[in-house]
Amino acid sequence: MTDQEQPKTELESSTPLEQPGSTVTQVRTYKAKGRIAGMSIAVLAIWAALYIVASAIPALPVPGMAGMITLNAIMTAISGMILGPAAAIANAAGGIVSMILFPYGFSAGPLGFLTVTMGGLVAGLFMANKWVPAAIAEILIIGSWFVNPQSWQTGMWMVPLPYSAIALLVIVIKPVRDWVRNAIITQNKKTMWLAVFVMCMIGHAAEFLTTNTMVNWMFNLTWQYWVPTLPYWIMVDTVVILASTIVGVGVLVGLKKARLPLFPTTLEK
Amino acid sequence: MPEPVVIQCREVSFLYPNGVQAIHNISLSIYRGDYIAFVGQNGSGKTTLVKHFNGLLKPSTGSVTVFGEETRDKKVSYLSRKVGYVFQNPDDMLFSSNVADEIAYGPRMLKVDPELVEAKVESILQELDLKNLRDTHPFALSLGDRQRLAVACALSLDPEVFVFDEPTTGQDFFGSQSIMGLIDELHQKGKTVIIITHDMPIVAEHAQRVIVMNKGEIALEGSPQEVFSQVEKLQSLSLKAPQVTLLARALGESSRTILHIPEMVDWLQARFPVTIKSGEELPHV
Amino acid sequence: MFSVSLKSRNSPLQKLDGRTKLIFLAVIFILVLLFTDLLYITALLALVLAAWFIAKLPTQPLKEMLQFFVWIAVIILVVQVFFYPGTTNLVHISKPVPAIGFSGYLTLEGILFGLAMVLRLVVIMIVAPLMVMTTPLPELMLALVKLKIPYKFAFIMTTALSLLPSIQNRSAIIQQAQLCRGISYDSGGKFITKLKASVSLLIPLILGAFRDSQTLEVAMNSRAFGAPIKRTFLLESRFTPVDILVIAGTFTLLTVGVMLRIRGFGVY
Ligand SMILES: Nc1ncnc2c1ncn2[C@@H]1O[C@H](COP(=O)(O)OP(=O)(O)O)[C@@H](O)[C@H]1O
Ligand SMILES: [Mg+2]
Repeated sequence: MTDQEQPKTELESSTPLEQPGSTVTQVRTYKAKGRIAGMSIAVLAIWAALYIVASAIPALPVPGMAGMITLNAIMTAISGMILGPAAAIANAAGGIVSMILFPYGFSAGPLGFLTVTMGGLVAGLFMANKWVPAAIAEILIIGSWFVNPQSWQTGMWMVPLPYSAIALLVIVIKPVRDWVRNAIITQNKKTMWLAVFVMCMIGHAAEFLTTNTMVNWMFNLTWQYWVPTLPYWIMVDTVVILASTIVGVGVLVGLKKARLPLFPTTLEK
Repeated sequence: MPEPVVIQCREVSFLYPNGVQAIHNISLSIYRGDYIAFVGQNGSGKTTLVKHFNGLLKPSTGSVTVFGEETRDKKVSYLSRKVGYVFQNPDDMLFSSNVADEIAYGPRMLKVDPELVEAKVESILQELDLKNLRDTHPFALSLGDRQRLAVACALSLDPEVFVFDEPTTGQDFFGSQSIMGLIDELHQKGKTVIIITHDMPIVAEHAQRVIVMNKGEIALEGSPQEVFSQVEKLQSLSLKAPQVTLLARALGESSRTILHIPEMVDWLQARFPVTIKSGEELPHV
Repeated sequence: MFSVSLKSRNSPLQKLDGRTKLIFLAVIFILVLLFTDLLYITALLALVLAAWFIAKLPTQPLKEMLQFFVWIAVIILVVQVFFYPGTTNLVHISKPVPAIGFSGYLTLEGILFGLAMVLRLVVIMIVAPLMVMTTPLPELMLALVKLKIPYKFAFIMTTALSLLPSIQNRSAIIQQAQLCRGISYDSGGKFITKLKASVSLLIPLILGAFRDSQTLEVAMNSRAFGAPIKRTFLLESRFTPVDILVIAGTFTLLTVGVMLRIRGFGVY
């Protein structure tokens, strides 16, 4: 959606600003200021608010994680697909405020909001077809896991395999990448589910590998912890991604049906 | 013989967790086939009270019984089969990807036999005139159709009693007419109907019993005639009888309370036979 | 989930500028990650607890937090105690099990390191609530703006906060509507039911909020968001001499900490 297509607001029609000759351009710059990476600030603020509310609702009843996985895991996984790269900003804002209001949900401490920022960033860049920065971000995430000498121990290389490594492959292989984006943008009834699953996987993988890396730096957990619990984490992540897929499809289709602006179609223009 | 009681409130008070006492000591009986309108200023406790009727809220003190069963130890999912609740904003109730699935959601949640669900959905689609929208996404419907769909969802659980919280707020004239028509139909089929509204002409035209709430208590109760005749009392509660009622008063009618335009026309014709010849030119209301 | 809110209205910490407290938070976080020696981490914990008591904060939230994190703490402790490559054997447990990297002994170093990691977790978890419980949210936001975070970002955070009550309210209404549609949350923790409940909460919540976004956008534009003027704030914040003193102390602490760490103190 471009600025010209927006319905005229009071500000534009009455133009109460100085310099009669330059009012039009002036108003446009104002509008441009109200956006980040193509998304309106109002929408980002709403997303941040949704994010905070979701952080207070314990979601998936995963054994051993009572109350720890909240609905914000789903919000993070779908954010990039719905908001594009600006999701990183909205998630960060929501993440910081939720950390302030409910500091318990963030196992990565005061920098915990970075995890959800990365989740929105990688998936958002992917959705905006900026695959090079997306790949760079994903490589940085995977790389930061391996920078810690802790991760050179037996079997620790397996931790980023499920989902983060797959996410990187999806990002760099052109046919796969195009197929996923197309299925989502065109809302193809048959293929959309798988494509949204892949998108949510990209978003969620970026979040949890960043979390794992930060936790590992902070608490020096060794392979004796990571390797045996890996199947359990794969199960948890799969459940989160599946739930995110259902919500993601519901929201994308609903936005289109209600003729609300949504990111994938914005890109087409 | 009076109709049997379907909902009984005994000295019900409710305290929100933040300490607001929203209703005090309300005792009330609702009979089968009633058509009740709750009116009162915003914040007077109407919503809080009606949320007790299907167990969404449980009384802090006192008791609420629905068809003889105490709501305190019953789940909402169970009570919803007896008392259907339609929220003010239909969008809060809708989350499926097409109309038919939306209607089937409740029965499926309650593990009703799939064939029965199918049949139920068909009959509701027919009844509410949603048949050609069965595969439409709820968000692609007009506000009026979304509201019909919200009613359909409540209907799918076969309740005896229907609660509507502000069904006409935010609707235009025809939207209001259409939803009120639907509610009247439910009532004609023998359902008990409870509505909350701020629209006095709607109360006058549709309800059989009016309950005026003020500051968490019942301030006035009776038939529309009885309630709207107390103009001063209503004024003290910041409420106003319908314009026609006030007009009739202003014109000197004090023996009875006129509630709708047709009644007013009859009265005017009787009183000023020369100036008004016929009501045919008047808009049908 | 329980939340933390302003708890202390009249304490020395309440009077400090929000920026001072943010700087303190950041420095404590850096220092606690810098050291692995139990002694150093205990000292930091003592400092944070002292601040907690100076602020006259209740101890109840501390207990709640410790309960919430007890399992994570146990895992951290067990992993370090059993698998840290220590040299001073203390307790003999079994024959060495090389396959899982267990030497057969509990070592002094393992126990000290494990305790240090657990205390590190405690420090990290209580330092942020310490600040939140002594600073009203608008002041915290102002502090972030004054520390030169981008205005747009601060605007998103403050707008989100002001939208919070209405979205929370909607979320409660949608959950009630779900109950009326036959969902029962309390049906013995059935996994699929809970999943369905999450899904049917988030979809209408997100879609409804996006519907409202158009109204909000118009409201923002008519208030001339982004006008190129210097913004003023209703709330003003100013450093007092006490703030300067605390900040100076904090930076001294940071410098000393970094120096010690460079010289090789405070780590194994
Ligand atoms: N969830 C809630 N938490 C706390 N107070 C509430 C809540 N809902 C309503 N109230 C308060 O209870 C009173 C009655 O509200 P309500 O029943 O919604 O009135 P009405 O429907 O007549 O407008 C009001 O003072 C309102 O502020
Ligand atoms: Mg109400």
